[in-house]
Amino acid sequence: MELDATARMARLTLTPRDLEKLGKAVEQMLRYFSHMKEIDVDGLAPTTHALLRENRVRADHNEASQADALLANAPQREERFIVVPNVL
Amino acid sequence: MKRHAAQPGRASGALEWRGLASTGPGRGKWKTFAEARDAELGCFLQLDPELGQDGSSDSGPLAGTPFGVKDNIAVRRFRLTCGSRMLRDFVSPYTATAVERLQKAGAVVAGKTNLDEFGMGSSTENSALRETKNPWDPRRVPGGSSGGSAAAVAAGIVPFALGSDTGGSIRQPAAFCGVYGLKPTWGSVSRFGLVAYASSLEVIGIVSKTVDTASQAFEVMRGQDPLDHSSLPWQPQPRKDGRLRIHVPRECATVPMHEDVTKAFEKTRSMLRDLGHTLEEVSFPTFEHVVSSYYVIATAEASANLARFDGVRYGHRTASSDNPEQMTLASRNEGFGDEVKLRILLGTYVLRSGFQDEYYMRAQKIRTAIRMDFEKAFAGADLVLMPVYPVPPFARGSADSDPFSQKLADIFTCSANLAGLPAMSFPASVENGLPIGMQFLAPPFAEDLLLSACRQVEEVFPSPDAPGYPAGWS
Repeated sequence: MELDATARMARLTLTPRDLEKLGKAVEQMLRYFSHMKEIDVDGLAPTTHALLRENRVRADHNEASQADALLANAPQREERFIVVPNVL
Repeated sequence: MKRHAAQPGRASGALEWRGLASTGPGRGKWKTFAEARDAELGCFLQLDPELGQDGSSDSGPLAGTPFGVKDNIAVRRFRLTCGSRMLRDFVSPYTATAVERLQKAGAVVAGKTNLDEFGMGSSTENSALRETKNPWDPRRVPGGSSGGSAAAVAAGIVPFALGSDTGGSIRQPAAFCGVYGLKPTWGSVSRFGLVAYASSLEVIGIVSKTVDTASQAFEVMRGQDPLDHSSLPWQPQPRKDGRLRIHVPRECATVPMHEDVTKAFEKTRSMLRDLGHTLEEVSFPTFEHVVSSYYVIATAEASANLARFDGVRYGHRTASSDNPEQMTLASRNEGFGDEVKLRILLGTYVLRSGFQDEYYMRAQKIRTAIRMDFEKAFAGADLVLMPVYPVPPFARGSADSDPFSQKLADIFTCSANLAGLPAMSFPASVENGLPIGMQFLAPPFAEDLLLSACRQVEEVFPSPDAPGYPAGWS
């Protein structure tokens, strides 16, 4: 199932051990999923959410900033900037 | 109050929990007991009732009552690890609405309970951070993914604990530990502060030692929340008393079940008949497809929800990397465990262009058929009865249940999530020294009916006490 290509899309790089172990597990699940072909779904609309009937939005206003608390969890930081490796 | 020595498998009366985590006279004894039990069983990833007192009201119906919170639900100043190396050191800057409402009612967070990483599993063995043992038999798993919550309640550390249920993650561990597990109607409890795994399926719910405790906590937690746009206003259903019509899916008989579960299932049916209810076997044509539909949808949503862990703003970051892309790849590889990687891979695959119709779209159409099966059932019945899990609590170390079998075993639980229905598991029997649970499913917002049906069963068969219960502080 082109595990490598799927892994790249999922932003995972798999070691040879992962490819072996997870590859088998993925194949097993996909084989199991293939039984879904047996059921007739003609005329059925897809359900994305069982009970959600409307989309709500919240009021557009400023809220108290939690920036400091959020920044406290950043893995690497210089003052109020999050540090990442060089992009260019 | 003086209490006679407990006999495992027999139920003790209600214990007095109010005030224990604040100013109650039993506080010191309770804390010593909680710490000792937790050291034996590994229920908590962080046990800190002092820290928990911050933010709780001094008065209210639950004043000073300690409770556990599954560690994928945010509590300010507590860690929020999701049982993952990815979030091992993450400290939550805010508190989930469900927790906040309990705190306003006076309840006190005792600590954060262990879970399968990001809620993915049925044994709590997928936690990267701690092993949790079943209080009935430490060689066995407590179930999962809310295994720490269920074990903490069954061990007598807390009277209730919050869990999340995406495909059975509250009901299955509750059943494995001999306590109650309420999975509310999808949207009825705010998920603000719940780390997302599969958003169209999951809900925050309750593991508890008594039905009344679940009822009390649910009443406090439920209702629409402006901070969760998927939360729904509470829509109570007219109360139904007296004789209930209960449907049992005929297809349950097609699932290979352990003889102890079969026995408990039979006992429950005859108990319900003795209580005056009518039981009828009805066919659910979609039954054999629920697990496929569930895993396609759950993994698809997981692959999207877990894309946020990139090593940039929070969470694990690899020690050294040359560029941002390599940093993200390495951080995710190091941070996630095997089961999480498997589900991300599967979810990414079923969403790939060219495969979507075959998997994701088809699963969503089957989901519609599953919903229709239940709508049909509830046109002629008040409740649906099913076992929770086909086997009793299994041995730790996957000796008698591999990860694939564990997924297939979600067959009784995941349909409630696909259809958004409330469901509640209850202890039904103790067979060969291990608790076996059954569950009721009900129409949306019929939690009152679920609770009253469980209360009736409770009067005949209350939650059996695990060895070591009641708590040593009582």
